[in-house]
Amino acid sequence: ENREAMLNSKSNRLTEALEEANRLFDGVCRAREAALDAQFLVIASNIGKEKANELHSEMSAFDSTAFAEDLLTFMGINRTEVEDSDDSEDVPGGFLPSDAWQTMGKEASKYFRRAPTLHYMMGSFRSEPPVPKQRIERQKKASRGKAERAMPAQLKKMEESHQEATEKEVERILRILQTHFENDPNTPISFFDFVIDPNSFARTVENVFHVSFLIRDGLAKIKLDEDDLPIIEPIKPSEGGEEDSRAGARNQVVISLDQKQWK
Amino acid sequence: QVNELVMFLLVKDQKKIPIKRADMLKYVIREHRDAYAEIVDQAGRTLQQVFGLQLVEIDTKRHLYILINNLPRAEGEHLCRGKEKEKMGLLLIILSFIFMKGNSVKDSEFSPKPPRTPLFHAPRSLTPPFPGALWEFLHLLRIHPGRQHRVFGDVRKLVTEEFVQQKYLEVTPIPLTDPPESKYQWGPRAEKETTKMDVLKFVAKLQGKDPTFWASQHAEAAAEA
Repeated sequence: ENREAMLNSKSNRLTEALEEANRLFDGVCRAREAALDAQFLVIASNIGKEKANELHSEMSAFDSTAFAEDLLTFMGINRTEVEDSDDSEDVPGGFLPSDAWQTMGKEASKYFRRAPTLHYMMGSFRSEPPVPKQRIERQKKASRGKAERAMPAQLKKMEESHQEATEKEVERILRILQTHFENDPNTPISFFDFVIDPNSFARTVENVFHVSFLIRDGLAKIKLDEDDLPIIEPIKPSEGGEEDSRAGARNQVVISLDQKQWK
Repeated sequence: QVNELVMFLLVKDQKKIPIKRADMLKYVIREHRDAYAEIVDQAGRTLQQVFGLQLVEIDTKRHLYILINNLPRAEGEHLCRGKEKEKMGLLLIILSFIFMKGNSVKDSEFSPKPPRTPLFHAPRSLTPPFPGALWEFLHLLRIHPGRQHRVFGDVRKLVTEEFVQQKYLEVTPIPLTDPPESKYQWGPRAEKETTKMDVLKFVAKLQGKDPTFWASQHAEAAAEA
């Protein structure tokens, strides 16, 4: 009790209390009383230490209430509305926006030299990760753990099919070409109409790339029509044999297309 | 070996709990114990040169290490995830409060019992709410130790456990106090990751004043540099 009163640098209460304890000790004849006295000594010495500390740290007055007000302002408090939830008791009215602490945190991170943390993008491949990593993974929140467990499965699939991905694309394009021809066998498609994606230059380039495989493998051919514009049509399987024997008739063509032309 | 240690340290640092040398020896260095010092040295250099991170021993007795960022602070977005950012906000406020109040703040997390029979009339400023109290201050920011916070959840746990484990804060219980009180100070990680001057500048910026407004704090901060 009265701890704060004793700490007041202007008060001599600690000295008085010590003197009184000394006097009382003379009358002590039971062990219990001595124990109380010992307890008192511990408390008194702690208080003494704190008083000594306070003598050294004579900090310039710091108004923490004003600081709190300024912090709330910084976080975007809206003081015009008054909360009537039980939150506001003896705290001045005002409504803290939901991103208040995000705002605070963004400012705060400028003052710390905190090392950014490393996180694997794809999670661990190995079925038996080294022990330290396993310990850490157990500590991670459940949701994150699940996401990482899902990732290795996905990644394995991708790895196997990496070679096949291009093949699949090529097949897909061939099927599109064939379907179109089935529907309308006598109208070859303009090459450019076929490959150009009006929304994506990258996609266009990819399409040209895949079509080149079709040509190479003899599954489609490009001819020039009356206007000297390239058209593309699939080659029927029966013609395949002939094509092979006329290998010399194959040409290499380099098409260049940059973004401006594409536009 | 060095690279393994580097990866180990980077992954271990995710939780920001200081890394024990014993763990490094047990999981990475193992049989190469004799070369321990050399391996740690090299790892430190790699971390610095490749990642701009500094490996710092914050406890030479118990051999605890942390990683801090050695790159000059860049303006703009920082690589902190959402939740981390908010915690750093709270932490900075607490560190500022502690520093401005003289590097050490006492508080009880429980409300003090009313004095039984005052033997003399205590001056107003010494009756509760205590002017130095941390939780009293946080109360002004809508943070209460007993209640779940919308953003921080169990704030008492965050401050007295998480921040303490990460060595951002040091909370020492004061013996034989009733209700039980603790002393709150900066932890060794806080001392490495920020400076008194930075914190003073933060306070000054918030309050629209010059850092020299608080003469003794400013002198102390300047002396630290």
